[in-house]
Amino acid sequence: MRITPAEVSALVLSIKVALLSLVVMFPPGMFVGWLLAKREFPGKTFLNTLVMLPLVLPPVVSGYLLLILLGKNGPVGSILSNFFNIEIVFTQFAVVIAVSVISFPLLVRGIMTGMVSVPSELENAARTLGASPIKVFWTITVPMAYRGIISGGILGFSKSLGEFGATMMVVGNIPGKTQTIALAIFQSVQLGDDITAYRLVLISTILAFVAIWMTERINLR
Amino acid sequence: MSDKYNILLNIKKSLGKFILDVDCELHQKVTAFLGASGSGKTTLLNCISGTLSPDKGQILFGNNKLFDTDLKISVPPDKRRIGYIFQEGHLFPHLTVEKNIRYGQSKTKRKNRYSLSQVLDTLEIADLLQRYPNQLSGGQRQRVAIARALAMEPRLLLMDEPLASLDGGLKSRIIPYLHHIKNEFEIPIIYVTHAISEAMALADEAFLLSEGKIIANGEPHQLLTAPSALPIANMIGVENIFSLPVANSDEQRGVTELEIGNQLLVIPFIDTEIGNLVPIAIRAEDIIISLEPNLPISARNILRGTIDGVDDQIIVSILVEGYRLSVKITHEARDQLQLSNGKDVYCVIKANAINVLWNAS
Repeated sequence: MRITPAEVSALVLSIKVALLSLVVMFPPGMFVGWLLAKREFPGKTFLNTLVMLPLVLPPVVSGYLLLILLGKNGPVGSILSNFFNIEIVFTQFAVVIAVSVISFPLLVRGIMTGMVSVPSELENAARTLGASPIKVFWTITVPMAYRGIISGGILGFSKSLGEFGATMMVVGNIPGKTQTIALAIFQSVQLGDDITAYRLVLISTILAFVAIWMTERINLR
Repeated sequence: MSDKYNILLNIKKSLGKFILDVDCELHQKVTAFLGASGSGKTTLLNCISGTLSPDKGQILFGNNKLFDTDLKISVPPDKRRIGYIFQEGHLFPHLTVEKNIRYGQSKTKRKNRYSLSQVLDTLEIADLLQRYPNQLSGGQRQRVAIARALAMEPRLLLMDEPLASLDGGLKSRIIPYLHHIKNEFEIPIIYVTHAISEAMALADEAFLLSEGKIIANGEPHQLLTAPSALPIANMIGVENIFSLPVANSDEQRGVTELEIGNQLLVIPFIDTEIGNLVPIAIRAEDIIISLEPNLPISARNILRGTIDGVDDQIIVSILVEGYRLSVKITHEARDQLQLSNGKDVYCVIKANAINVLWNAS
């Protein structure tokens, strides 16, 4: 019962994609989380709803919308293909996009919850002590919100790791190229290869378990 | 008075139904704003510190315009160099005491009118530097908060009920620190409180704030002992405040006796010398009126006096050896004891109900 090269490449791709998505989405996640937690502006509820939408939409729907957007004839896809001769759909790059859209709400949620819990009185106190808004952000808001920020990051990362519906819609299921763990499980079940499916299910369950366990540990401390 | 204490406040700010409308000039080293909760004290300080923007008006500090709606000037709080000491301290929980204190310290050396070690010495917190705020007692936390505001070398200090979260004993221990600050650092202070005793203990001038408006101002002692202040006193709690000379202090018995005319007032022991003046405060609710002098009770003080005023409120004014004591009672008690002008009565006061405002020695 050995892990096949195809399974290894699915696992590696999943982790690679999830990490990349985390790195790319972290700065905007921090910004949006801060906006939603600390600022009042017109359209705040709209932004909040928009960011959280993928959390409740069926991932297949989000994936389909992305496909329309990024496809050769879509508004974004056509620009990329006409001017830069780049095609995104069915590439690993598209996997990152699909996975990022789905995991972004979890990332923002965590960051937002962390930042909301930082009393604005402390931030104001820091301002009166001569700190610029940027200094307040880095020396008060972020260190005090670190639990929420880390758990948002871990949850978002784990979500990316197991994303299925949107990825399937945008990139299809090409073994060795765009096949993530979730897609590999789906394929092996379809083919009746239960042994492989069990193995992959075990791996993803362990990954998810460790991720949630880590966030709980952080929140307990 | 020199120019550096000159502060002009002309502030209009509405928050929901509440409207703050203040127009005044401050010239003294320590100015107190007195008012009940909800009178707009904190709103006023927030406007001065810049964490809240007035709707209209101007704030002038010396020749420095901090805020002006007409000229569209609003200096951000981090550029105002105004130290703000909050009621709850607001220390940063994730930083040690030392890092809290150094947070606002400027990197560029100013003339350095005083050093950080002077601040630490004055407040006696040098031993606490490596602790975290949650490892401090209430009094220590408040002293660290004061040190943090001083370490940034502010041009002006705002204090928002810095003693309100402390219990009585701690209060009288912190007041001397505030006195040190007043005397050692050349910084004007705006002090906001609902406690008359604190205003009297520290301020050179006091403003009475009610529902967002200034209703009276003047030298604190005159302002707050004048009969015209009675309605205000009713609102924020009447306190009797006197400075009395020490007659005798006995550590073994645990008491100190003060002279009030020819009678003695017993208070819990303080370390002091005979003849020193001790400022004390007694809340009007803490005094009991009796018609009899010989009562089998534990209260240490039964002072003879004469009623010289019974108002429609529930405050009775009693003259004890030339000192006027205000006593709060119920209508029922007033009628039952038939209290009226000229009647001789006895004021019963527990030693522990007498708060020493500060102990100079």
